[in-house]
Amino acid sequence: MKLPHRIRIITNNPLVNTVLSDWYKVEFHEDASYRDILVMVRDMVYNGYELMTHPMAGSVKPNETMYKSIVVGTDLIGTNLEHCNLMMNALITCDKFKPLGVVYSDYHIKDFQLIDYTLLCGALDFDAIAGLSKANVNSY
Amino acid sequence: MKLELGFIKINDVQFSNECAVKDGILYVNPEDVKAFVYDHDDCKAYIKSINFDIAKPGESVRITPVKDVIEPRVKVEGPGGLFPGFVANVDTVGSGRTHVLKGAAVVTAGKIVGFQEGIIDMSGPGAQYTPFSKTLNIVMVCEPVEGTKQHDYERAVRYAGLRAASFIGGAGKAVEPDEVKTYETLGIKEGIEKYPNLPRVGYIHMLQTQGLLHDTYVYGVDAKKIVATLLNPTETMDGAILSGNCVSACDKNTTYHHLNNPVVAELFEEHGKSLNYVCNIITNENVYLADKQRSSDWAAKLAKLLDLDAVLVSEEGFGNPDADLIMNCVKNEKQGIKTVLITDEYAGQDGKSQGLADSDPLADAVVTGGNANMPIVLPPMDKVIGMLDYVDYCSGGHAGSLRPDGSIEAELQIITGATNEMGFNCMSAR
Repeated sequence: MKLPHRIRIITNNPLVNTVLSDWYKVEFHEDASYRDILVMVRDMVYNGYELMTHPMAGSVKPNETMYKSIVVGTDLIGTNLEHCNLMMNALITCDKFKPLGVVYSDYHIKDFQLIDYTLLCGALDFDAIAGLSKANVNSY
Repeated sequence: MKLELGFIKINDVQFSNECAVKDGILYVNPEDVKAFVYDHDDCKAYIKSINFDIAKPGESVRITPVKDVIEPRVKVEGPGGLFPGFVANVDTVGSGRTHVLKGAAVVTAGKIVGFQEGIIDMSGPGAQYTPFSKTLNIVMVCEPVEGTKQHDYERAVRYAGLRAASFIGGAGKAVEPDEVKTYETLGIKEGIEKYPNLPRVGYIHMLQTQGLLHDTYVYGVDAKKIVATLLNPTETMDGAILSGNCVSACDKNTTYHHLNNPVVAELFEEHGKSLNYVCNIITNENVYLADKQRSSDWAAKLAKLLDLDAVLVSEEGFGNPDADLIMNCVKNEKQGIKTVLITDEYAGQDGKSQGLADSDPLADAVVTGGNANMPIVLPPMDKVIGMLDYVDYCSGGHAGSLRPDGSIEAELQIITGATNEMGFNCMSAR
């Protein structure tokens, strides 16, 4: 598990909040969109917080999933131009995808939460499967 | 390391009461395959039923949602067995002799998560975009046991496909191949002595490793946990690298792609003629930025240690891996190693947007596998193997993608293997 005391998770994913808030500092923005989370983190990175995970994690496209979780550092370290660039490119990429007009069922929404959660766990080296024991996730 | 691949040409596949290859026809007994598949704890625990079907090139058949495609092979001589760490033990593979049932493929289908899996059309315009419309496909539709979680289902279906392909491949063990090809790379000193004037070329093979359902395995190890390391190119031909990737149908590398990696094939083709193919460097595409830095640093370090003159780099996936691709490029170019990148693009439906989520002026030699956003219309097919109910939610789909007549309006990314980033497709120039 990666350095829980030095990081915070910026997320709009309730599954991340439910499972990981016992272990990490989770800043849960329930009403934020995928893009809102990118903008929040961009501003943090511009202001000198360290970006610790890639903002475009996962192959689920920005116009499909509504969930995004990004890890940033807790300490001000100064502006990192490479990280600023990553955030800027992430927003450009996000805006490139057109809305799909699809209405997702609760089942799909839970799957999107699961994918975002598992990607984050992969990044943090956190046991995603063990964590799911305290959450209500889909099964067949 | 030297490997002989014996290609047994398969011209037809039929269900039968035995598994055998006779006169170019592959006979498959589904009950025998099923018995072998179910002789595994995960398959037993999480797969309720397996329905087998056959799909042939030119038929009006749509297979969906596709999970993995695997070529049946069998180890005939030499250490280890096919799919080390999963089906066989972890002995180092890539030497001796392996037989390939060329023209046949095992396709696993099942709805792991409802929005990402792909389509294979065996005829019509969609067939032009997937290499698996040209293979004789033994399709396994795997239904989960009630209450199974996605990650358990994914793992069980992965094992089921690998075990089925391994069992079916066994039918070719005692068959005399139609063609035998030998693949060999030399040790560092031997290579320099034998080809003193040829450029030393390596292949940086990036593996999808972002998390559960976005994973790749090397000798059974989750590749998220590796640092960049060396692999003999022939090891991939025996299944050292396996797909556990459930997302992004168009540009995920199925196990079939790994077994038949076209970069490896082309480099072997030129080995000793225009270049000296030294080895593969495998590396990952983790989400944590420090992991990216470490892996790309190590890939570049190994390239320098091997005194490479040039590297080819292939990517897997969208967005996040673009950063690894550019890091691998920049770090090698800056130490004087010429770098060529193979990727695909999400350039918008009109193809006018920036194709990658990252870029650098040093990335000045890039091969594209095509634009995944390109709109396509797939006509209805007479038969569907699997299910269509998820199509509107799939990558490349949208509300109304699945039309009442069964046709599909979508983006190219919905088709399995359409913009493969190893170049295993027909969307680029040669």
